[in-house]
Amino acid sequence: MRLLLVEDNVPLADELIASLTRHGYACDWLADGRDADYQGGSEPYDLIVLDLGLPGMPGLDVLRAWRSRGVATPVLVLTARDSWAERIEGLKAGADDYLTKPFHPEELLLRIQALLRRAHGLANQPLLQAGGIALDETRQRCSKDGQDIELTAGEFRLLRYFMLHPGQLLSKTQLAEHLYDGETERDSNVIEVQINRLRGKLGRELIQTRRGQGYRFGGAA
Amino acid sequence: MKSIQRSLSVGLIAVLLLVGLLLVQTSLWLFEAGLRRNLAGDLRAETEGLLIALVQGAEGFKLDTGRLNPRYQRPFSGHYFRIDLPNRSWRSRSLWDAEPAWPNADGLADELVDGPQEQRLLSYRASYRRDGQTIVISVARDYTPVLKNFTQVRLGGLVLVGLALLALLLVQRYVVRRAMRPLEQARQQIAQLQQGRRQRLDIAAPVELQPLVEQINHLLQHTDDTLKRSRHALGNLGHALKTPLAVLGSLVRNPELSAHPQLQGNLAEQLEQIQLRVSRELGRARLAGEVLPGSYFDCAAELPALFETLRMIHRRELDLSWHAGEDCHLPWDREDMLELLGNLLDNACKFARSQVRLDIAQTPDGYLMQIDDDGPGIPEARRDAVLERGVRLDERAEGHGLGLGIVRDILAAWNGELMLTSSDLGGLRAQVRLPARTRGDG
Repeated sequence: MRLLLVEDNVPLADELIASLTRHGYACDWLADGRDADYQGGSEPYDLIVLDLGLPGMPGLDVLRAWRSRGVATPVLVLTARDSWAERIEGLKAGADDYLTKPFHPEELLLRIQALLRRAHGLANQPLLQAGGIALDETRQRCSKDGQDIELTAGEFRLLRYFMLHPGQLLSKTQLAEHLYDGETERDSNVIEVQINRLRGKLGRELIQTRRGQGYRFGGAA
Repeated sequence: MKSIQRSLSVGLIAVLLLVGLLLVQTSLWLFEAGLRRNLAGDLRAETEGLLIALVQGAEGFKLDTGRLNPRYQRPFSGHYFRIDLPNRSWRSRSLWDAEPAWPNADGLADELVDGPQEQRLLSYRASYRRDGQTIVISVARDYTPVLKNFTQVRLGGLVLVGLALLALLLVQRYVVRRAMRPLEQARQQIAQLQQGRRQRLDIAAPVELQPLVEQINHLLQHTDDTLKRSRHALGNLGHALKTPLAVLGSLVRNPELSAHPQLQGNLAEQLEQIQLRVSRELGRARLAGEVLPGSYFDCAAELPALFETLRMIHRRELDLSWHAGEDCHLPWDREDMLELLGNLLDNACKFARSQVRLDIAQTPDGYLMQIDDDGPGIPEARRDAVLERGVRLDERAEGHGLGLGIVRDILAAWNGELMLTSSDLGGLRAQVRLPARTRGDG
């Protein structure tokens, strides 16, 4: 899952990036509204966390601009403006969720998790379930047939992405785009290695390879 | 209450009455003065006639009754004379036994004198010399008919003045009402302003009223702008304060601090208190309160968005519904009302099992808003405590707490009251009564 964090307060952004990365999200960070306006529309983010008080361009304007250009990425608005009038304003501009500062970091993680599931049409249950596998996103481990299975950070990220897109054909490029932030060197071999490890832990048939096209997470097919 | 119409009427009546009475009285005086001059001529001619009737006989002067006007013979005819010679005198027969107070000087007497049979007499005296003798002739005639006529004329005059007064009052009423129409319009629009059906005054005011209308509009705009500016500034302040607080909140959870749980706990608690305080005070500062704001709460425009937001915040299967009368405009600031309803509905959504309902109804003395949910409710014995300690109880609720605190602040500014009762849905009913604004007659 690749997120865009738009937040102009550097210490807060540092904290958030650290926390988000720990939980397996690839994070890009921008501090200026104008950059966000451009990059939010051009990169394939799975979710955007948007602060409203931004230099360059107000957050709500950025959001309106995205929505008017047809950018449908789920947006979680992060703001100190907590009056109901402002919340409604944010919703009207196209926000999918609204979290007011100050907040507990866990609260943000839960909201992101719920928003991602909703964006993929999945029910908001404690565990992410697909293909006979239950994934605990908080503890970053999964269970199959009642057996707990430990995952490395990389495996967790990959599995989560697969489980949010069950039955869909995913190319290696697409996987790379959504699993790494903009600054990481993308090595498709790493993905291949991790897919093989997942197959080793969860069974070969779970992830099928379509030669020349990509991979498919088998569960719902 | 002072009415322009009434004070104008009072002034007009006073002036008209004064002028009318003065006019009637002076014209009567002038007329009477002319009449008396005329009568004086007549009376003088009478004395001359009497002088001719005096004939020189053998033993002095003698009154030739044959030459006398017959009305001097008929008793109490209203025409009387007395002729005085140094050695004798004659009285007219018409006087019978009466003896009026004849004037002492020549010419028309200034005062009327009492005559017989309650007649009032206008008298005249003339002195002549004939054959070396002084002859004083006094004549008098009854003035009562004239006096009666005058009384009648005066009465008629008064009736006329009264009628003129009435006609003028009616005309004045009409004219004033016409002239005041813009004022009346302004009064109605101000009432609408207070009922929330209008944002600004919009009348074709006459020149005299235009500055007032413009000033009111300017003030409304100014209030609105000031409110927006201060809210924006508060938003910025909130942003500036809460972002570092969020950082601190996150830093406190840093694993390195977990080695000192007591320190971590203290820090977290103090941070929590700062956060609550900041949120509460910023929220309070945002309230518009009692001012006449530029933007009112239009139920049909605001409630759908508010409910949409509630659905977004409470991601679960909740049946949220609202009922407000046709064309429901609440005469309070839009953002304050959103804050009030938002917090109460948010609480209801937190506790409801499946259903939350909002009813807004107009009552004779204001508005009644009811927020019902089908949650567990609050036992009757604890409801007062919840309201009393509403702030503290609310602080424990996760997320954006402080709901009841800010609700109480808003209601205090509006003189409203919040009551908790049982809902027919099975849960809690929060009942808000808002008294109508009473300034003007809005």
